[in-house]
Amino acid sequence: MTSPNAPEAVVDWHTDYDMFDPQYLINPFPVLNDIRESECPIAHSDRWGGSWLPTRYEDVVAIAQEYQAFTSRQIIVTAPPPQQAEGAYGGVAAPPITSDPPDHHWHRRLILPVFSPQSVAKYEATTRELCHRLIDKFLATGQGDAASEYAQQIPVRVISLMLGVPLEMADEFTSWVRGVLETGLQDPVVRLENRNKIIGYFVNTLADRKANPREDDLITELLASKDGDGNPVPDSYVLGVCNLMLVAGVDTTWSAIGSTLWHFAQHPEHRQALREDPEMWPRALEELLRVYAPVTMARIVDHDTEFQGCPMKAGDRVLMSFPSANRDPRMFEDPDTVKLDREHNRHVAFGAGIHRCAGSNLARLEVRVAAQVWLERIPEFELVDPAAVTWAGGQVRGPRICMMKFPVA
Amino acid sequence: MCAIAAPKVFGSDDFGNAIVLVENGDVPAELQTATRIAQSNCPERAIVLEEV
Repeated sequence: MTSPNAPEAVVDWHTDYDMFDPQYLINPFPVLNDIRESECPIAHSDRWGGSWLPTRYEDVVAIAQEYQAFTSRQIIVTAPPPQQAEGAYGGVAAPPITSDPPDHHWHRRLILPVFSPQSVAKYEATTRELCHRLIDKFLATGQGDAASEYAQQIPVRVISLMLGVPLEMADEFTSWVRGVLETGLQDPVVRLENRNKIIGYFVNTLADRKANPREDDLITELLASKDGDGNPVPDSYVLGVCNLMLVAGVDTTWSAIGSTLWHFAQHPEHRQALREDPEMWPRALEELLRVYAPVTMARIVDHDTEFQGCPMKAGDRVLMSFPSANRDPRMFEDPDTVKLDREHNRHVAFGAGIHRCAGSNLARLEVRVAAQVWLERIPEFELVDPAAVTWAGGQVRGPRICMMKFPVA
Repeated sequence: MCAIAAPKVFGSDDFGNAIVLVENGDVPAELQTATRIAQSNCPERAIVLEEV
């Protein structure tokens, strides 16, 4: 029996796609490949507030780069809760990802140094130690959930460390972020509630840092920074950055770690290849990011325009499917095959243009270290039941339950 | 991504922006293959190579 509220099944994916269709969540690629290789590679759907879905690499990248026509006023793949604008924290966004030029420039410039390869390197040892401790908890049992007991636990703690907030908050942060990016995508009220919890938490943190400034502390430093005109930055900017770091830094990387382990569980030959030649890691990592790109971002059309023959109206939502772009055969040879030594890999897992992921170097570090530690501690493993793996999709794609079994030493 | 493909040719500044490490942009012969791969992996198509 179908519940009266269950959405109608999709008949035509080109004109009525449903990003939360249960089969599409498990494996969206047959649909994306079909749309991409059709005569109309930009699909449209009225579901979830309505959106356009470009699927070809060139189109996705063009939209990412044309920030004047495709603005970042909203970047979530479903329509926002109507009351968001009037909410207590209506003035708090998530800069720089929600910023357009000219403010985007200083919004981004203030946080870039935090995420440079040199800056994130100092988190490698802690991340490695954290990964070991997580595996210690289930290693002796011969099975563990690579998603909820491992991948999910890592980025939230690294981000907490960067923000200088207590690691004990990790479970609560995770639940709030899922409330914004997972359940909240389909339920505007849940989304607003969780957004308010995140921002409310950081309102208190900011007040504390103002009263008790700390040495070598990101929030203290951000509060003391200057905007593009040399004036002190408003609190709403610092709150927005904290909001962004949590929302963008947790679900995304955790999904990439989970997909990577899901892949290795099914490809012992790839585990062996990396064991035999660890120098393959940098290239292998990029290939896994290409194939399992977790993130899809949205843009809002600024003014009525025609894009590749599609009549886009001001206010329309456009979804940049980086997962689909990364499997475009026009750009990648044999795109659905994982080739750990792929030489030409201009993937856009981190987006492109002025909003290209600011945290990509941290994400790379976390995915690499998490995968390396798992493979070192648990060299042989497999999925307990491939059909039992559950996936989140929509904004961020990755496994949410992914039970692995392995021999106990 | 260029710094991953050709770490002796490309690095990053304090903002994480890519910078060219080789003097005057002259790529020594032994690094030319890596540099070409870096070019073909740049998602921003920001690398221009000139034969001299």
